[in-house]
Amino acid sequence: MFRLLEESGFTRVKSAVVPGFAFKKESTRNSAEAYGVKAVMMTALKA
Amino acid sequence: MEPEQYQATLEGVLKEEILRMYQEVAENPDGDFHFHHGRDAAERFHYPSEWLDAVPTGAVASFGGVGNPHLRAALTPGETVMDLGSGAGLDAILAARQVAPEGRVLGVEMNPIMMEKAAAHAREAGVAVEWLAGTMEAIPADDASVDVILSNGVINLSFRKRRVMEEMHRVLKPGGRISITDIVSAKQLSQSIVNDPKLWAS
Repeated sequence: MFRLLEESGFTRVKSAVVPGFAFKKESTRNSAEAYGVKAVMMTALKA
Repeated sequence: MEPEQYQATLEGVLKEEILRMYQEVAENPDGDFHFHHGRDAAERFHYPSEWLDAVPTGAVASFGGVGNPHLRAALTPGETVMDLGSGAGLDAILAARQVAPEGRVLGVEMNPIMMEKAAAHAREAGVAVEWLAGTMEAIPADDASVDVILSNGVINLSFRKRRVMEEMHRVLKPGGRISITDIVSAKQLSQSIVNDPKLWAS
């Protein structure tokens, strides 16, 4: 998503992991961990 | 089935599942879902309690976001804000309070039932939000018409994320900004996950 924002013309793209995010069900949480799934905050500007 | 036809069919099925799941959150906030939702989720993401206390209970109970886009949005009075995928309306209502009295908030939502709920919540909150029926792949707004786009946990659901980014860029004014929270994956999801509407919608 970070790369797509830049390729779409956005500048100053910044991201950080959302603290406190987790899937509720253990099975989903385990799958998410295996795939490196996380929630992120992203900001960017249109020049 | 040709690959393009298969893709279109899969997208249609997934769209229906996404609509169904998030509508279920709105209609049955006490239900058991893969993700935290409602006030529990909002407090995890540091929405101020005083903000949540001042919003209709239904808007908070149906909250299905994955973070708090307000933390870095720095909204100021007078700005035009778009909430892309506005769901039950929590983020749009909170934005409307921050940009009042001259600012505008546009809520874009593809599910008409959710939009009705969000509109009712906004009326109850006493804020003005303009609700636009449409999708994030074809945002129903003019070029260069928006100062800030907020989005919370919906872009990951799109099969055409590049198109969504291009649309956000199109509707923003020069110097405009986005503040989004969303789900990303470090690895390519397996085809079994992509093909499973319930897992994709989660």
